Amino acid sequence: MSILNEIERDALTEIFNVGAGRAAQSLSEIVGDEVRLSVPSVEVLRSGAIDEQVLPRTRGRFATVSQNFDGPFDAEAVLLFTEDRALSIVRDMMGSQMSLDELAEFEREAMCELGNIILNACLSAMADMLEITLNSSLPQYLVSSPDDISARLASAQGDESYVLVLHIDLVIEKHQTDGHLIFLLSSSSLHALVEHVQRYLGKIGLG
Amino acid sequence: MSTAVVPRFRAEDVLDQLHGGLIMLDAGLHILLWNAWVARHSRVPADQALGARFEHVFDERVSPALLRAIDNTLGYGLPAVLSSALHRAPLPLYPDHGAAQAAGALAAPARMVQSVVLTPLDSPEGERLCLIQISDASNSVRREKMLQSHSDVLKRQVGTDGLTGIHNRRHFDEHYAQTLQRVGKTGGTLSLFMVDVDFFKQYNDHYGHGPGDQVLKRVAAALQGQLQRPGDLLARYGGEEFILLMEGLSPRQAAEVAEALRETVYALAEPHAKSLVAHRVTISVGVCTRAVQEGMDGRLLMSAADAALYRAKLGGRNKVVATD
Repeated sequence: MSILNEIERDALTEIFNVGAGRAAQSLSEIVGDEVRLSVPSVEVLRSGAIDEQVLPRTRGRFATVSQNFDGPFDAEAVLLFTEDRALSIVRDMMGSQMSLDELAEFEREAMCELGNIILNACLSAMADMLEITLNSSLPQYLVSSPDDISARLASAQGDESYVLVLHIDLVIEKHQTDGHLIFLLSSSSLHALVEHVQRYLGKIGLG
Repeated sequence: MSTAVVPRFRAEDVLDQLHGGLIMLDAGLHILLWNAWVARHSRVPADQALGARFEHVFDERVSPALLRAIDNTLGYGLPAVLSSALHRAPLPLYPDHGAAQAAGALAAPARMVQSVVLTPLDSPEGERLCLIQISDASNSVRREKMLQSHSDVLKRQVGTDGLTGIHNRRHFDEHYAQTLQRVGKTGGTLSLFMVDVDFFKQYNDHYGHGPGDQVLKRVAAALQGQLQRPGDLLARYGGEEFILLMEGLSPRQAAEVAEALRETVYALAEPHAKSLVAHRVTISVGVCTRAVQEGMDGRLLMSAADAALYRAKLGGRNKVVATD
């Protein structure tokens, strides 16, 4: 049985696409060229299942930007790009030619800001549409192996935890890349989120 | 008896000693805090700034991206970072006078490179405020630039042939792999030229290694002189062997380039008493041109060009053989 029904999943996809649109607008201003961002799909998995569903399709390491937030539901939001995609994004944004290890301090900062813009836009869209208030920590940038991420998922929450996985398509300077945005939620936070989504659906007459 | 610790200093003094900027704004963008660092670098004193509206306090424009980020922080209570890499100098802040003069410019002084962090803060009355923290990133930018330029120099040295000053095999191999991957995605042709100096062993035996080295340098310079497009890459591949990679040529154009290479070396008129084809230094060239498919094995093109070179030598040297 799936955790979200189809209409709830559609509503979340819509909310996150509103966020993606806002992020794209901010990024376009910064880059000085059209940036397009969209969230084609949203799914909820048990946190144990993320290994098979998201991580194995990729080799190598991830560049991650994460923020912890709290409100009616608490979660850790982690934006994941594979190493080569993160590099191509930074290259497109700044014209740099470095490997991830030598990513200079201010390019890491740029990556951190990019993550912050995308994460904040998604959080603000949720806040607006679900009529809630969310607090968040500052973004943190980290390079992780798939194993590091699995370990983080396993330790952060107990068995009763879930991940909300968003697939993200990003086009900067006509270059297409993609990544994932993952929300780690406890089961009670997931239920609170679903409740707010249902309330939103009721409000727009689809509940 | 009270256990409360009586503060022996004022928090304001600490803020004013801070080596970084602090500005606090209310929801209407009125300035509630303007520490000494900000006053010094903006050249706007605190008494003039406090109570004024943030976007009007400077003579110059504040970056729209910063104003938008402040709006977001105040509106949604979400913290934000503005990196120096993407914004450089969102606020009209300037380095200290001394530093600016040391930089020596009479021209308009350059803004300080800044990293900015915005955090929401609730006042005791429950009003949402925005704290702006600014740090001077100029030193780290300078350091990064220095490290970057050192690393560029080292990279160039690692990829350069010590004798001829053109790229070496190591650099070529990396460049070739990247180019194959890129052109494989976008589609297009690659032409690989293998160039060999004819009867070079005999030249060395007759004239000695010193003059032999000089000939290699002159040949390398002559070949390099034939390249006009920034993407063309020439490297010394072995003793007297050179390799050249060019994009987007038809087989016919590649054959013309190969012929031009041969002619330019011939035109050097470098004497070679032991050459069996001419009494001067000549080269043989094999070139192969292919449309690149994604995942194509680079060795195929390489061995085809090598086979063409072999045929050019077999055919009498001072020759070009082009294949596709």
